[in-house]
Amino acid sequence: MEENPVEIKASRIPKIDKIINYKDFFGEYPIIFVIKIISSLSLIYVISEFYVYHNPMDSLLTKYLGASLKGFEPNPDVFVPWCFAAGFLFYIFTIFKGRYKFFLFLLIAGSLGHYIAEPAINVQQGEYLIPSKVEIENSEANATQWKWKPVKLIYDDVEETNDRIEDAKVRLTNVIFGSMPFLGAYGIWKRKGWAIAASIGLAIIIGFLYTPNLCLENFEESYCGYETKQEEKTWNEYLSSGIFIGLGFVIYIELSYAAIKYENYAEQFKPAGLDISLLTNAQRKSVSKTLRTLFVSYLINLAVILFVTFIIAEVVININKYLATSDGQIQDSIELQGPYGIVFTSLLFFLLLGIIRMFIGPDNKMKEA
Amino acid sequence: MWSKKAAAVAGGAIFLTLAGLIRLNYLFISAGLVMLTFVVISSFLDVWMPNVKIKRETTSDNIFEDGTMSVKFIIKNTGLGIGFVEIYDSLPPQARIIKGSNYTLLYMKPWQEVSFEYSLKLPLRGHYHLGPVKMRVKDAFDLFYNERIEESIHSFSVFPQVEVLEEQIITSRAPKLLSGAMPLNVIGTGTEFYSLREFVPGDSLRSVNWKALAKKGKMMVNETVREDVMDVILLLDAREVSAVGGGKDTPLEMSCRAAATYAKQLLDERNNVALMVYGETMERVDLDRGEHHLFKILTALSSAKPQGNLKLEIVLKDLLPHLPSGSPIILFSSLDDDHTIAEAFTSTISRGFTITTISPSSLDFEERMKRIPMEPLLIAKIERDNMISELRSFGLQVGDWKYGDNVNTALQEI
Repeated sequence: MEENPVEIKASRIPKIDKIINYKDFFGEYPIIFVIKIISSLSLIYVISEFYVYHNPMDSLLTKYLGASLKGFEPNPDVFVPWCFAAGFLFYIFTIFKGRYKFFLFLLIAGSLGHYIAEPAINVQQGEYLIPSKVEIENSEANATQWKWKPVKLIYDDVEETNDRIEDAKVRLTNVIFGSMPFLGAYGIWKRKGWAIAASIGLAIIIGFLYTPNLCLENFEESYCGYETKQEEKTWNEYLSSGIFIGLGFVIYIELSYAAIKYENYAEQFKPAGLDISLLTNAQRKSVSKTLRTLFVSYLINLAVILFVTFIIAEVVININKYLATSDGQIQDSIELQGPYGIVFTSLLFFLLLGIIRMFIGPDNKMKEA
Repeated sequence: MWSKKAAAVAGGAIFLTLAGLIRLNYLFISAGLVMLTFVVISSFLDVWMPNVKIKRETTSDNIFEDGTMSVKFIIKNTGLGIGFVEIYDSLPPQARIIKGSNYTLLYMKPWQEVSFEYSLKLPLRGHYHLGPVKMRVKDAFDLFYNERIEESIHSFSVFPQVEVLEEQIITSRAPKLLSGAMPLNVIGTGTEFYSLREFVPGDSLRSVNWKALAKKGKMMVNETVREDVMDVILLLDAREVSAVGGGKDTPLEMSCRAAATYAKQLLDERNNVALMVYGETMERVDLDRGEHHLFKILTALSSAKPQGNLKLEIVLKDLLPHLPSGSPIILFSSLDDDHTIAEAFTSTISRGFTITTISPSSLDFEERMKRIPMEPLLIAKIERDNMISELRSFGLQVGDWKYGDNVNTALQEI
């Protein structure tokens, strides 16, 4: 007797990998995931530190936006983590697949629309629920019928909706200041070099728009958050903190770049155009080990170079300080105790390094073909 | 050498510093200086460059057109250096990679031997080489890199494609008598009719032509052409004009394929074959036979380049005195731009040689490339047809080989 083949019904619930490309998030090797996390933390640190010295309330943007937008009070403690989260969530959104991405978009748009419109728009309900089965009055045999309730839209709490719209505007305008963490987070997790470069470029632009105590010239003290003009920090204080911010930027650039680089390296180990699943466990472990070895050696290199950079930067500042404050002809010949002085001293120092570089260090000659 | 990243970081750092000066922003100045210091300090790091030994293993040193060649690239780190190396094995521009890649990124350990494989397809005959090998090493931060070119060359030849012929190419009325016993594949009386003669005692009754007996009233026997070992001269036109068209679609490429096919067939039948390639000068592969000789002919065909404008009459005038009398000559030529053709053929026939021409039509290529307007093309086609008809009227065998046809089709026209 012939047996009927067992029909296996496909499950109607789609598998998780059909909905979201979660492998893109976790990556194929844990080490790359770890690099992304460290890179994200360094980004948050750098941006937070940046805003300590560039109060967004003193920005040219605040001068104009603060006057036109009610409740516009950019606070780095709020917008830095939230914009980072927004960048990260935008990345999560991008890894959703096909129609699910569209559904998610509709859900977000719908939720936002509902949140804003909900206080204002209300529905006045009639006697019955919609639709309802009701007994017909004066009937003999308890007859029932479906009835539709008349629906009426009423405008209930319009003010609350307007407040919410204003709030949304304020939050959106905060994204201008938060665009650095937003783009940085997206760049790190999506492995987009342009986004990382753009976040750094924006930091420079926002730095340009900063003028100390600008807020007090245009707004009330209560709005600015500080009562009297802040005392200008000494150039030594600025330089010292600048070194840390500079180092933070280097760490952020290097680590975010490393995440992209090592992911590309890992790609090289895969069979051409194929998936990692074709690698044997031993091969996968070997790749993982190679990447780990490489990353550890990279981190050691980075730590050593950053330490040397820090020392040299400190040396340059101290040389400048010594030359600027010590008696003698140098101090009299040029104003060393100022921005031009520090740049001048640094250039002299780099000149010296260049001369040293001529005699020591690798000589990368091309071998004659 | 500076990488793009180094240039970007250094440029950004200088910009920050100058911007800090303009805006009197100490933070920008110090951050810029730190980044600049980072780049300068990194330049002191040594960019490791490995000492390597390179070896290639290929499936064959010679392939035919459109054939594939698998290459196993083996590289051994002969030093103590460690790190990532980008390796690019240079390929001829005509080569197409069909499997694997000629570029790789390897993590090399001291004395480690690593290999990768790729397969190539070469669509065009010629002599090529793999290599040199370009190696690139970057520092830990990808700020600086070092490149080296390793002169590791692997030469190989791509022979013209050989087709299998469905019929015998040519028969000679002047078979060559062999000295010494040679096991021959094709020997005997042959099958092609040559003439009738009167029966003489000793003739086989199987060769009697019974129809002729009925007609003439006396015993007549069929004489056949002896299909035997002979000397065949392949003459290839490699003048500049034979490069009309492009890529594989030129009279020269088609002629090379045909000549290779004919040479293979003739040598398989144990004939002696010589190849003469004329263009700027005359290149010769003298009469000989055997597998080794086929290799010589194929190599010569691979080397044929379109150059010069030597006329056929001069070539034959120079050649004929040295050829064994009555040897068949097979000419592969588009018959373009040579006003001496008719005279050349006449003098060849008059000296007792048979000449067969396989002529790829260059006009088809021109038509395909749409370089000639329709009217002049039509006129040129008529002129070519007239010339072929004229040559045929001399009793010459001319195969008009159209674009897209295989060698067998051209052979059938003869």
